[in-house]
Parts: sequence; structure tokens; C-alpha cells
Amino acid sequence: MHRKKSVPLSLLRLALFVFSSTTLAPRSFSEPVLSTKKVSAEPGKPNVTVKMVMRDGLRFDPPRFSAEPGRKLVIELENEDSSHQSHNFLLIRPGKLKKIVESAMALGERGPSQSFVPQSSDILAHSAVLDPEKKSRISVDLPAEPGVYPYVCTMPGHGMVMYGALYSGVILPAIDKDPNIPPTAVQAMLPGGGRRPFIQRMFLPNAGPAAIAVSLPGKQNFCWDAGECRLRYVWSGTGVDPREHWRGNGKDLAKVPTSPWWNAPIEDFPFRFGSPSASVPKVKFLGYRVEAGLPEFHFKVGAIEVFEKVTADDARGVIEFHYKVLRSNEALFYRASDAEGAKWASPAGLFKGGVLELTPAQAAQFSVTLTGPAIH
Amino acid sequence: MKTLYFSVSVAVALSASGFAANDGSPPSGEGRISEHYKVAKLMGPPGIDSQVGALVALEDGRLAAAFHHGQVAIYEPKESSWKIIAEGLHEPLGILPEKGGSFLVMQRAELTRLRDTDGDGLTDHYETVWDDFGLSGNYHEFAFGPVRGPGGKLYVGLNLASSGDSIRKEIRGEWSPIGLPRQEFYGANWKKVSDKAGRMYSRVLWRGWIMEVDPVSGNATPFASGLRSPDGLGFDSEGNLLVSDNQGDWRGSSELFVVKKDGFYGHPASLVWRKDWDGSEPLNVPISRLDALRTPAAVWFPHNIYANSPTQPVLIPKTPAWGAFGGQVLIGEMNSPRLLRVLMEEVDGVWQGACVNLVDSETLKRGLHRLAFIGDTLYVGRTHLSWAGAEGLVTLRPQGTLPFDPLDIHVTPHGFRIDFTEPLSAAAADPGAWSVEQYTYAYHIAYGSPQMKKESLTPTKVRLSNSNRTAEIELPTLKENFVYDLHLDALRSESGTAPLNARMAYTLRKIPQK
Repeated sequence: MHRKKSVPLSLLRLALFVFSSTTLAPRSFSEPVLSTKKVSAEPGKPNVTVKMVMRDGLRFDPPRFSAEPGRKLVIELENEDSSHQSHNFLLIRPGKLKKIVESAMALGERGPSQSFVPQSSDILAHSAVLDPEKKSRISVDLPAEPGVYPYVCTMPGHGMVMYGALYSGVILPAIDKDPNIPPTAVQAMLPGGGRRPFIQRMFLPNAGPAAIAVSLPGKQNFCWDAGECRLRYVWSGTGVDPREHWRGNGKDLAKVPTSPWWNAPIEDFPFRFGSPSASVPKVKFLGYRVEAGLPEFHFKVGAIEVFEKVTADDARGVIEFHYKVLRSNEALFYRASDAEGAKWASPAGLFKGGVLELTPAQAAQFSVTLTGPAIH
Repeated sequence: MKTLYFSVSVAVALSASGFAANDGSPPSGEGRISEHYKVAKLMGPPGIDSQVGALVALEDGRLAAAFHHGQVAIYEPKESSWKIIAEGLHEPLGILPEKGGSFLVMQRAELTRLRDTDGDGLTDHYETVWDDFGLSGNYHEFAFGPVRGPGGKLYVGLNLASSGDSIRKEIRGEWSPIGLPRQEFYGANWKKVSDKAGRMYSRVLWRGWIMEVDPVSGNATPFASGLRSPDGLGFDSEGNLLVSDNQGDWRGSSELFVVKKDGFYGHPASLVWRKDWDGSEPLNVPISRLDALRTPAAVWFPHNIYANSPTQPVLIPKTPAWGAFGGQVLIGEMNSPRLLRVLMEEVDGVWQGACVNLVDSETLKRGLHRLAFIGDTLYVGRTHLSWAGAEGLVTLRPQGTLPFDPLDIHVTPHGFRIDFTEPLSAAAADPGAWSVEQYTYAYHIAYGSPQMKKESLTPTKVRLSNSNRTAEIELPTLKENFVYDLHLDALRSESGTAPLNARMAYTLRKIPQK
């Protein structure tokens, strides 16, 4: 079944092999899959192999990766573009992306005969034109000089959007602040394309396995645990990074890119009905409604139905919890302790010793606010 | 446009095909397949990961699909357009429409109802229908289904955890104390002790079980146990619940089960959750005891020959284009570009039957995970989740005439009766035109099984029916719990054609008395 044919083409420095289109499964939205294979001619410096997939929407996947200067880099190209477009791949010297894209455009009718690759010493390596569902492989000896080496597809009209960055000996900036990769590529890697607000269920760190990541409008994000029916932590800035989790079968957790500025206490639940010292109630998750992109969580605390909506007011510097409690005739004791500079308050009354006491009438609809040091 | 450019891969693309030669001989290989089935790529919703976790045909001719990153989208074939109606789900692996326009989706953590309460076509209520099952956080705890039974109840399959990884610090639900102590799962020695957890393990509730869920109340009852990785749930034309499972520990080869209430289907890990379980560590239970409890699979998919990882069973529609295949069970496969028909029968209360390829074509690629028919058209959604497979969707349409192929098979007291889609040539009456391999697979803890006790058989007798459409073969021996792998490549139709799919494997559980 594995028909492997080698069709060596002597195109400049690169060796190109063609495989049947059915062998390696593409990985989605992968961060560089860097495998080191001991096939290098240089002892002690194994090759770096990276899989580079061309996808619909004129994207390279991954849109960036890193590799040590001076290494031999093998790039396994796969055209998985479901919109049936052909692509090529050029690796370029730092700072020369625009120049190469422009000279490729200037090729005009000469383009097809030279795979849309202009003559230039700024091109470190390139592929031929790769039709949909085809694979090829190029290799290149990376220069010893550290730098951000762009890669690009120079098919007509593709070069302005279909590019990425090889970081060689240079530290990668945060993915959503990387000027060397196209915005479309970033969007494709984030839940909802980086849209806010957004709700994404996935495996998150420091929570139960039924976790929900929520990015609020503005800067705040939180992890809500559907197993425990409560918010677990809040962080500011970029939303959850799902790539590790989505890459394969889910073995790796998604990442929370910055340290949460507030973490819920372990194994506690804020609600106690009837008495402040009542035991931790049993909870049952009932789902959520979405209004203007924001979730309103619905759950049972014992037999009592509760709705919880979380909003943020970046200007005032607060996270606000809005609760509705249905048909309760018991007093509600809401437990929330100030910690790590985070302060609790409520328009409904004062927290005494970390407990807000509400009459059944007050508890029917109330809110509490959490002000944290990280909100400005 | 792409043909303008020279392509180094043209030679390879054509090498897979054996188009009709100019001498008038019938086409073979891909060329012949394309005379009967047309495969076309279908673009998924733009800009999203196109690994398909779930597909279902809607009554109005549209298609609903769920994707790896948690979107649910509706495809309108008339306009070739997609509309995303829900987002943010966690690895949805099954979807069902409900009356009134809502959908049920099985995601890792729960069975969820997607409701559009304001009529804008988008989900605004993600209602938890059922989440009363365990999650250890192990990646392999996938959740499959739901499918709807004839009585309106839903059926869901819960995957075991894999010793390929440990469990999360925080788990959901009860932890079974039976087996490797929980702290060992967190220890520095995990890699060394992981095999003591069992290659696949069920330490949280209902892992390895098929659950029956009431869609209204959300109440679930344990329905059947002993499953390992039940990716494919479906029903045959008589309403029997079919569940496919993957080769592995306790699975000599991949299998298809006819699942009945309270049945146990061989993988012992799930036994710890039986109400009457005595607390024994399943890994230590003697095979004889397990054997007495279990119902073997109706069908083995011989490994590396037919399927290594069978997926979703669906019914071929009873339409003119599908002809005599209508009403038969079709199933996908992850590791090879193959769709298979499954032909089952009940003999003295025991389910058994055969698998045979419908299509084995590189054009399908691998990872044929989810299947749905709209009219004649089969929609196939692919996935890989980092295993063997691919992504995206394809359609397959029959071209109006079925190929010359085995149509159906039944066991007889001394052999098999095989129907064909076209009359056989008279030469098929020669026993020498038939060859049969007989082998079995071990039921054991090890991962997979080689073919065991293998023998080659030649029929002692072959009788053709009056129409020559049916052949009855008698074999020198017939043994229960063996596979009869029939090689049909020497057979020809009356018009001289070889079968498109010249091999079929019957899993014999029960020899009929008459």
C-alpha cells in the first residue's frame, strides 16, 4: 500500500522527494513537530525535521517554528488545502520577505516555468509547485547567523498572506504579538479565531476534566469547572492556547498563557444554604445559555437551581458574578475570602469573615465582585 | 489552473489507477471502481479544522457535522454551503437531530442538547442532558454516540482509558478502588507500573459500557459492558444495536458486536462497575470465567486484511442506485481507504456474519470515521486525532449498476451459501475455483492476536443455483469460533468479469442444524 517513489530533482541545493499522498497523517494547527532523527552527516548535530502543511485560507501550518542555527533542516511539505489550490514554499533570508514576494510577482508569464520562484541569493531553499494532496520534502543547511527567516508561498496572489517565520536562535514572542506571522494564521489557532467573547470546552490545567474556557470581552479570561459548577481561576490577556490539546488525541492539556491572578480555593464551593457551617453541597451542572456571546451557567446546588453569569469591567477593574437563585426559602451564605490582593464585595451587603449573608429575598438575585491586582 | 504547472507527482497519481486498456478488456483497479462509485471531495466549512467527529443526515436533505475543534455545522447540498450553528464543544463524536430542530451531541464530558431558542439559527442554549459518568481526564476516554433505538432511547458508548497515559489529579465522579492504587497513577514510576493498570482501564464510572439514556429525563441505565473503544454505534435494519470495537487487549482482531441488554462483550476492565461484581481485579480473573460471561463478536474484521479500526455502522439506503445492497450494513475504517459491507444473520439465537469490501480506493484516503446517507449519496467524514487517518469530507455516489460482487452469505450445516450480484460462469461449479482459509483469533489479554490454527481448505462440493446467482459450497470441516476467509478471485461472472471485491470473511459462531 505504501508506494514510495523517489523522483529526485536537482533544483539548486534542494533534494525533493515525492511520496504517495496517503501515508503520513497531517496534524492540525501544530506547533512545530520537531523530531530529531539521527541521519545527519554531522555527528552530534542531528537533523531537525518539521512538517509543514499548506491549508485552506492560504495558510502554512505551523505559521512559525524554531530551529537551531547551523542545523540541517528537513521540511516535509504537504498540500492539504481543501480549496484545491497549488502552493510552493520558499525559505528566505531575514528581512527579505517583501522583496522576494515582489520579485515573484514581477515574473509575470515566466512564473509557471520556474515554479514562481525568482532568481535570488536571498532564497535559502524552495520547493516546486505542490498540487493539492501532494507531498514533498526539502532540506536546507540553516545559516549560522541567528535570525527570523521568513517562509512564503509565491504563487500569484498568495505571497501577501501565506507566510510564516522560522525562528533560528531567536526567542519567539507571544503568538498573538508576533509581527512575523499573518493574523489569519493566529486566528486559525485560537478558539473562535481569537474572537471575544468565546466559550471553549477543553482540558485545562488546574481544574477538573469538564472544564470550560471563557474569554470575556476586553482582557479577562476564566476557567469554569462544569464538574464543580464554579469558576476556578481568572487570568488577564491572551485567551486559552488550545494547540497542544488540539494537535492530536487530547493527551496534552490546553495552556493558560499567563498565570491566573485569582485562583478559587481548593475543594470549596461558595454557596451554603441555611447555615454558614452547612457541609459542602452537592452540585449538578445543567448547561449554559449564551447571550451576546457570554455564558450564563445553570446548575443545581442541592435541590436549588442557580444561574451564574460572569462579566468583567476592565475600566473599574472588577470581575462581577451575577447570580439568580430560584425558589429558595433559605438564607444563603456566600463564602469568598480575600486573598492574593483580590478583594470581594457585593452591593447586597458586607462580607464578614469571608462570608456574605443573604436573606432568601436578597439571594434571589444578587451579585458579587472580585477586584484583583492585575486589572487596571 | 493547477494543470498549467508541471507536477513531479503526476506519475505517482496515475500509478494507483488501472484505467481501461485500449484492447477493450474491462477496466481494473481504480478505473473499474470509478465505473460503479464516484468519489468526490467535499470542502468543509472554511477556516476550521476539518477532522470530522460526527455526521448525520437531516430529514430535509441537509447534513449536520461536528468537528474536532468543537464546531457543529449544517451543510446545504443544494447550495454547497456550510453554516456553523454551535461552537466550543469538546471533541464531539456523535450527533443526532431531534424533533423541533434541536440536536443532541456527545462531547467528552456530557451529552448536550443544542437549542436555538430565538430562531436565529444559532445555538444559544447548551443544555446538559446527561453527564453522570466518570472522567479521569485520560485522553482515551472518548464518548461515542448517541444513536436512537427503535423505542426512542439513546445509546452511548464510553471508551476505556489507556495506559498510554495516566489520569488527571482532579477526576469527575467515583473512583473504583479495584486495581492499581490511585497514588501509583501519580507516581514517578507511572511508566513502569502502567501495565499494572491494565493496558486499557476503567477506574471511573461506566467506562467500557454502553449506556441507555432517556433523552427527556436524562436518566441513564447501564446497558452492556465489556467494550474497549466502541467508536461506532448503529442499528441494523431490524433494530439490533451494533457496536464496533478496535483490535487491542482482549480483542484479537477488530470486531462488530450485536449488543443486547446486560451483555458482556469481552473486555474485562468494565466489570468493576457491575452491581454484582465481587471486587476481583479484572486482570486476574481466569479467562474461563470471562469466557463464560461473554458474548463473542458477531463479526471479526481480520486485521491487516479487512479493517484495523472499524468505525460507524450505517444502513445502505434502499434506493434503485444501491440495488441489492440496500438495507445492508456499511462500516468505515480508519487505517485503510476502505468501506466494508457487513452481512449478518442469526443462527439459533447467535449473531454471526461476514465482512466484505464495498470499495477499497486510494481516492477515499484513510480515517473514514463517520458516514451518513442523503438519498443515494454517502457522505464520509475523516479524522485522525494524530493516529492513522486523514481529514476532510468526501462523497461517494453509486453510478447506477452494482459491480459483480458477492451480495450475501449464509452458513449451512456443511458450508456456505453465497449470493452474487450477477450470475456466475459455469466454471464456478468447479471446487478448484474456490479457496478458503480457516483461522481463529485468541481471546487474551495481549494486544491483538495472530491468526491461529490456520488451514487452507478447498470445497468438497459446489452447487450453483438455477440462476447461477447463488453458489453453495461444502467444506471438509466447519468449526465454530473460526473465520472462514473466502478467496473469490478465480470466480467469473457470466460475462467474464472478476468480482470487484474478491474476498470475504465469515465469522462462524454457530453451525446450523439444518
